[in-house]
Amino acid sequence: MALQRPALARSGPTAGAPRRGSGLARDSRDVLFLLAVIAWTVMPHASRLPAWCLAMTAAALIWRGLLAWREGPLPSRPFLVFVLLLACGLTWWSHRTLLGQEAGVTMVVALTALKTLELRARRDAFVVFFLGFFLILTQFLYSQSLLTAVAMLVAVWGLLTALVLANLPVGRPALAQAAAAAARIAALGTPIMIVLFLLFPRLPPLWGQPEGALARTGLSGQMELGQVAEMALDDSIAMRVRFLGGERPRPSQLYFRGPVLSQFDGNIWRQGGDGPWLRQASGPQAPIRVQGRALDYELTLEPSRQKLLPLPEATVDTPEISGSVGTLELRQHELQWQTTQPITERLRVLGQAWLAYSQGPQLAHPALREFVELPAARNPRTLAWAMELRRRPDLAQADADTLSRWLLDHIRNQGFRYTLSPGTYGSDAIDEFWFQRRAGFCEHFAAAYVVLMRALDVPARVVTGYQGGELNPVDGYWVVRNSDAHAWAEYWQAGRGWVRVDPTSAVAPERIERGSRLRPPAGIVGGTLTVIDPDVGRQLRDIWDAVNNGWNQWVLNYSQGRQLEALRKLGLEGPDWTDVARALVIALTNLSLAAAVWAWWERRRFDPWLQAYARVRAVLERAGIDVPPHRPPLSLARQLRQQCGRAAWPLAEALERLDQMRYGADRAGRPRHPSRGERRRLLLAAHALVRALRARATVRQ
Amino acid sequence: MSATTAARQTAAASAPKPESNGIRPRWRRWWDARHPRRDSLQLHHGNVYILPTRAGWVFGLTLLVLLLASINFQLNLGYMLTFLLGGSAVVSMHVTHRNLRGLALHLREPQPVHAGESALLDVVLDHQEARSRLALGLRAGDAAHGVADWTWCDLAPQASTTVHLSVAAEQRGRHPLPRIVLHTRYPFGLFHAWSVWRPAAQLLVWPQPEAPPAPLAAAAESPAGSHQARPRPGEEVDGVRDWRRGDPLRLIAWKKSSRTLASTGTLVSRERESRVQRDTWLEWSAAAPLPPEARLSRLTAWVWMLDRTGATYGLRLPGQELPPGSGDLHRLRCLEALAMWQSPR
Repeated sequence: MALQRPALARSGPTAGAPRRGSGLARDSRDVLFLLAVIAWTVMPHASRLPAWCLAMTAAALIWRGLLAWREGPLPSRPFLVFVLLLACGLTWWSHRTLLGQEAGVTMVVALTALKTLELRARRDAFVVFFLGFFLILTQFLYSQSLLTAVAMLVAVWGLLTALVLANLPVGRPALAQAAAAAARIAALGTPIMIVLFLLFPRLPPLWGQPEGALARTGLSGQMELGQVAEMALDDSIAMRVRFLGGERPRPSQLYFRGPVLSQFDGNIWRQGGDGPWLRQASGPQAPIRVQGRALDYELTLEPSRQKLLPLPEATVDTPEISGSVGTLELRQHELQWQTTQPITERLRVLGQAWLAYSQGPQLAHPALREFVELPAARNPRTLAWAMELRRRPDLAQADADTLSRWLLDHIRNQGFRYTLSPGTYGSDAIDEFWFQRRAGFCEHFAAAYVVLMRALDVPARVVTGYQGGELNPVDGYWVVRNSDAHAWAEYWQAGRGWVRVDPTSAVAPERIERGSRLRPPAGIVGGTLTVIDPDVGRQLRDIWDAVNNGWNQWVLNYSQGRQLEALRKLGLEGPDWTDVARALVIALTNLSLAAAVWAWWERRRFDPWLQAYARVRAVLERAGIDVPPHRPPLSLARQLRQQCGRAAWPLAEALERLDQMRYGADRAGRPRHPSRGERRRLLLAAHALVRALRARATVRQ
Repeated sequence: MSATTAARQTAAASAPKPESNGIRPRWRRWWDARHPRRDSLQLHHGNVYILPTRAGWVFGLTLLVLLLASINFQLNLGYMLTFLLGGSAVVSMHVTHRNLRGLALHLREPQPVHAGESALLDVVLDHQEARSRLALGLRAGDAAHGVADWTWCDLAPQASTTVHLSVAAEQRGRHPLPRIVLHTRYPFGLFHAWSVWRPAAQLLVWPQPEAPPAPLAAAAESPAGSHQARPRPGEEVDGVRDWRRGDPLRLIAWKKSSRTLASTGTLVSRERESRVQRDTWLEWSAAAPLPPEARLSRLTAWVWMLDRTGATYGLRLPGQELPPGSGDLHRLRCLEALAMWQSPR
């Protein structure tokens, strides 16, 4: 046979060359997949982003997709730099800053989209992946619901899959294969995640967050007509309450007290300053008087980013709070719990509420004048009407209780209507409401009531908060949604102090009594469900709420308090965060040990036959006899007999037996594994041979 | 499954380093002792190395930023994301290492080449595990000789595959092969695991043949009288003889062989044109007055030329003489003699 001279090195594509095989080239497919993952990640942001950013992102992704489809050239770098500067400029224009949360999110989205237009090298791909992980995190700034978590888990999976694809240079690996690999690795990483999640010390925020950068729906310190209507459309959950005793309050008894608004400038109701009331701390602030039995409750408050706790009326004693709120303080004259830090995490509150209580000075006090002030130039008809009312003989000497009853009767009988969409009101909103339109919701009623009471020279104020709630029979929690936001009123009656009155109940008692809300029209699915069986819809919602509550309780609510609680349950006394850190280190060490044991076990799991043979080979190789791994024992035996003569006979015979076990013609059915004794004899023979060879070498020298 | 690359590496012998006790030579010695030259390599914990890639470091930084953001905004889901990614990265480290661990490599005997050509190294990868190993990259050569591109391959469960690496051969002689590096970044590219293998096999590099070759006449007119008549052993009158090892295929008399195969079980070869062949001597002096390497090149070209015509030829080099012969084996012997003549090694 003629020996072939080796051809000159075949030159060819090394890797990643586009292959036109089954439709789309591999690179194009990978890019399209990555674009889809990015689009999925950005999607939940869509409603929050400025329009230009959304348009730019969509354009960049679609353009990049088309380029991938047609395998066209990528845009030039100067062009990209130009677009990047444009994006920065527009961000500045939208947010007046390049830092901060919202501007940051806008920038990250724009950057990610633009970076896809520059996907050339592996390095670029990695930048996109890492930006993608940031994008996922930014979603959690807005929502940490179960749905968000699931959607973002899919996004993480997608990004990891794309990462695997980027590291498979050969051929055209199936998407499913890469996805399976990513899922397997993430699943194996989950125990590490759980340990770290449970034991990583929870620290307070490292530096201050810009307050109000992220306004969330919820209560605020002021009220402008129309604001609560927006909230009524927000069906998200504000808090969950469970009453621990057997006693269950009626929905109409559940008032969660938020900011008390006592200053009115004609448009906006604001919280009163800390003026006369705090300066005269010893003066009119008669202690809060409670009657009857207190209800123990457990309340889970969603983060509101505000410095107040809307607790059930009347929570008098300092509640027990797990979570960081700074210092908790009761504004006594308003019966309002305030914190020094905005609430940025879910709080678990254990407290006591007295349903029967009274508050405020018993006797008239000059400081109460603050609560009859009205802007003189506004709502002239209302003021005139009140003056006239005061002149009526039956009301001239009436006390506050009587006046209030009279006003409520007026509301009940004069064709007032409760609606969520009363339309906008002009500058003399109360006039317009009271005399012409007579349609509105709790805010309108509360505001008009307080203005009229003040016009009648009765101290009165608006109280905002939540009212009612819905009992979830699945887990016994009352669910209070942001759509339960409410405004009611308080007037001052000599001898009683502040008295709560809910003008809305005069026109829409079902709102208060049964907690039934005006609902925005349901979506198609919800609508269909309600048509088929209203109970099914309610049940589904209850189950969903229970699941969501479990999620909140066990995942989102997990805080330093819970961490320490868990350690306490493990028997540690008075644990602090160093104990948490120690527990973390111990757990991680154990995990690593488990991994080491697994690796060891994996080595042991080797085929015993192969293992026995490998050991013999290792012994021989240490002695300088090179044995290629593919050489079968029979051939090795022959080699040894030739090389080493008689000294090798015992080993050669043992090797022949080993060969026979696996490849022998007389074996019945399955290959046999060497027994423990056989393996030992094999090794001993190998060592004996090595010793013999060494002895021979010394003799020669 | 196999992959090919155009990687060109130099198989030139590294010049013997002066004995020294500096850090670098010591390190070199220690490193070489760690990786003795051998024909096969079994990868295990002891010879698979792993470090984060640059992307891995950046990923670590990303995790740190994610963690800081989670702390600052008190995002429990942010913690979960960070820890899930961190956990996955740790697992991916093990996966990367496992991608190499347990793999066995061996090298097929490399075929000789002429200087200036590329030698093809056939590296066989095999393993016994019931899992596939993906994205394994190999390259031959040291950093000193320029870095070649990786040749990538995948390995199916319990399978073996051959990867062809090419190594540029520049100088004639017998050279140790450059080290072969096996590397993987699968699955996430955050870690790269690698192993270094210094094959024990040596590569024979023949001198570069002169192109275009000088006419052989120069050799025939050499003063030593290159052509001699010589009877050849085992010749038969009818122009055929028993097949001998080394006879080219084209000399086999197939028709006759079909009969002899049936009777005696051997093939028969045709005798060359003339029954009495004149032997050609390729003389060192015939290539004068060229410098030695050029002479070797010319002689190499002549060897190929004579081999192609099927002539009988001998080779005389200073201090070495190969008696006349023909056939592939003879040619290989001649070429090896030319390659090794006063070899730099």
